[in-house]
Amino acid sequence: MEQTNSRRRVLVIGLDCAAPELVFERWRDQLPTFARLMDQGVYGRLESCIPPITVPAWMSMLTSKDPGELGIYGFRNRIEPTYRETAVANSTYVKERVVWDVLGNAGKHVVLVGIPCTYPPRPVNGEMVTCFLTPSLESEFTYPAALKQEVRAVVGEYLFDVRDFRTEDKQYLLDQIYLMTHRRFTLVRHLMQTRPWDFFMFVEMGTDRIHHGLWKYMDAEHRKHPGPTPLLHAIRDYYRYLDHQIADLLANVGDETTVLVVSDHGAKRMDGGICLNEWLIREGYLVLKNQPQGIVPLEKAEVDWERTRAWGAGGYYGRVFLNVRGREPNGCVAPEEYEALRDELTAKLEALGDENGQPIGTRVARPETTYKTVCNIAPDLIVLFGDLLWRSVGTIGHGAIHTFENDTGPDDANHAQYGMFIMRGAGVPAMGEVPAHHLMDIAPTILEALGVTVPPDMRGTPIQAALASATPNTPPGTRGETLVKS
Amino acid sequence: MERGFTLWFTGLSGAGKTTLAQLVERLLRERGRRVELLDGDVVRTHLSKGLGFSRDDRDTNILRIGFVCDLLSRNGIIAIASAISPYRETRDHVRSMISDFVEVYVDTPLEECRRRDVKGLYRQALTGRVSAFTGVSDPYEPPLAAEITVHTVGRSPEECAAEIIGWLERRGYLDPVATPAVNMVPGNVQHDQQAKEEAEAYSPEEEADVSARLEALGYL
Repeated sequence: MEQTNSRRRVLVIGLDCAAPELVFERWRDQLPTFARLMDQGVYGRLESCIPPITVPAWMSMLTSKDPGELGIYGFRNRIEPTYRETAVANSTYVKERVVWDVLGNAGKHVVLVGIPCTYPPRPVNGEMVTCFLTPSLESEFTYPAALKQEVRAVVGEYLFDVRDFRTEDKQYLLDQIYLMTHRRFTLVRHLMQTRPWDFFMFVEMGTDRIHHGLWKYMDAEHRKHPGPTPLLHAIRDYYRYLDHQIADLLANVGDETTVLVVSDHGAKRMDGGICLNEWLIREGYLVLKNQPQGIVPLEKAEVDWERTRAWGAGGYYGRVFLNVRGREPNGCVAPEEYEALRDELTAKLEALGDENGQPIGTRVARPETTYKTVCNIAPDLIVLFGDLLWRSVGTIGHGAIHTFENDTGPDDANHAQYGMFIMRGAGVPAMGEVPAHHLMDIAPTILEALGVTVPPDMRGTPIQAALASATPNTPPGTRGETLVKS
Repeated sequence: MERGFTLWFTGLSGAGKTTLAQLVERLLRERGRRVELLDGDVVRTHLSKGLGFSRDDRDTNILRIGFVCDLLSRNGIIAIASAISPYRETRDHVRSMISDFVEVYVDTPLEECRRRDVKGLYRQALTGRVSAFTGVSDPYEPPLAAEITVHTVGRSPEECAAEIIGWLERRGYLDPVATPAVNMVPGNVQHDQQAKEEAEAYSPEEEADVSARLEALGYL
C-alpha cells in the first residue's frame, strides 16, 4: 500500500533489554543506522520501573502508569492472599488505557507486533500480533483473527520466542535467536508495507535472550568470562545484524516519520544468585516441616506456615511476602508487628554481602512508597540484590546462601535500571545526548508526535517538552536520578 | 476534600446501566460519599429537553452530561452517568474533559437486551415505530479499553455492583470499608469476577507451559 508522506506517523522499534552503553558508546562506530538516528535526533538513557522487568516495564512505558497503578509486579502475580495462587500476567490484567487505545479512539490506525503482555489479543483500531507469552501457534494470537493466516503465509512458522533457551549449546541458541529475529522483521516489513498505519510498534526479544545467554563471552569482568573465544563478538554481531534490519525498515519510511528506538531496561553482568528462601530459613523467618531432598521449589516443600513469618520468590529480582494474621490463611505476623518486621528484613537484606561478606549494594523497596497507588497483591518487599548484579533464587536445598549455578540453567546477565531511547523525526532537533527520561514519558511522547491530546492521568511528560527547554549535551542521568517515579 | 471522580456507564438500551448505576449509587451513599446520578433518560427531560436522536443531538446530550460530571467530580463528588453514549469518539471527548474518569462498559449482548426489552423499545424499533435506535438502526461502538467491563448475563445486579466497588477500591478511588490496622496492601482481599476472568486467560495446561518457559528464561 502506498504511504503518503504528509501524514504524521510514529514508528517505535522496541528492543527488549537493549543496553545504552553498548549502542551509545562501545559499538556506536559499528552501528551506522543507530548512529545516524542518534546524529539526526536525540538519545539518552531511559529509567525503568521498579522492578525493571519486561512485563511491568513495557506496560508502564505504554500506559504511562507505574507497576503499582497497573497492579502488575512481575510475570507471576499473586491473585489471592494464599500461599499458592499466582497467575501469569496477561493482557486482561491491564486495566489502564494503553497508548494504542488512546490513538485508536482518535482514529489513528495502529499496528502492533510482539509487545509483551498483549496476549490474549484485544481489539484495536488496526492490527495486532501478540507476544512471547502466547501459548502456541494454535492460540488466537492476532487481531483481527484472520491476520493469523496471513502471518503464516508471510513467514511460515512465526516464532514468539527462542526454544530451549537454557542450553550450553550456544551456537544452537544463536541460530534460534537469529531465526526468530529474521522472521519477526520479515513480518514487520510486510505489515509496514501493507497497512495504512499511523502508529507502528514492535518489540524484538532477541536482544534480551542474547544478553542472558551470552553476556559472559564479551564481558571481561564477568566471573565466568572464558577469555577470547569464537563467541567473543556474538552480541556485537547480533547488534550489527539488528542495525542492518532496522536500516531496511527505515528505507521505507520518510524522514518525516518519528522513529523511536526504546528498551524497557538495560543489561549488566550477573555475579551470582542469592538463595532468598535459604536465607529466610537460616534467619528463622521461614520454617519447613521436613528438609527436602535436593534442590526443589518452595512450592514442593512442606512449609510450616503457622510458624513462618516470611517467604520469598526468585527471579531477576526478589520478592518477599509476609505471612500476616488476618490476611494469609495461616498468618502469624500480628498486624502491629508488620512494619517492624519489614524494617528488620530490609536492614538485614541490605547488609547481606557476597560470599566473602563484602557489601554488594542491595536495595529494598516498599510498594507503598515506590508507587503512586498499590493495586492488586503486591509483594511486601521488593529486593534488588547487589543493585541487580545478583539475582534472586527461590528454590531451596542449595545448602548455601550464595550460588553461582543458576537453578534454572546458565544465565549470564541481569537487568539494569536504565534502558535507552533514541528519537528522530520532524520537529526533533539534532541535539545528541540529552538527560535521561523515564519509561512513563514514552506514551505521552508518542501521542505528542501524532498530535493527539495526552490524557491528564498519564504520569509522564513528552520528551519533546523537555527538549524545548534543554541544552545540548547535559550530563546524562541528571533528570532520571532525581525522578524516582516508580 | 474526598476524591471525586466520574463513573460513566455505557451500553445498549436494556443492558442494565440504570439498575447498576442506582445500586452503586446506594452503596456509595452508604459509605458516606456524596454522589450524584445523571441518568440519560432523566437528563433528556431537563438539561437536554428538546434534543432528538440525531448524531449531533446525541453528542450534545452526552457532552452536557460530561460537563456536569466534570463540575461535580472536581468538587469531591462522585458523578455517575448512565447513558447509552453509543459513539466512542464522543465518550473519549468526555474522558478528555474529566481528569478522573472511569468508564464502565455494561456488556450485555444485543440478543439479551432484546429479550429483556424492559421499555418495549426494541419491539417498537424492529417494527419501525422508533427510528435511529441503538443496536437496531443506529450503531453502538463498544469501548476498546473501558476501565471496567461488567458482564450481566447470569449474574445478579448485586454481584455486578460489588465487582465495580471492588475495582474502585483496588484502584484507590475508594478506601476499603474495613481499613486494615497495618498496610495489608489496599484491595488485597477483594476478589471479584474480573479477577477470576483474568486468571483464566490461559487454560491450566497453557498456564503450566508458559510458566515453565518463563522459569527457563530466568524470569521466575
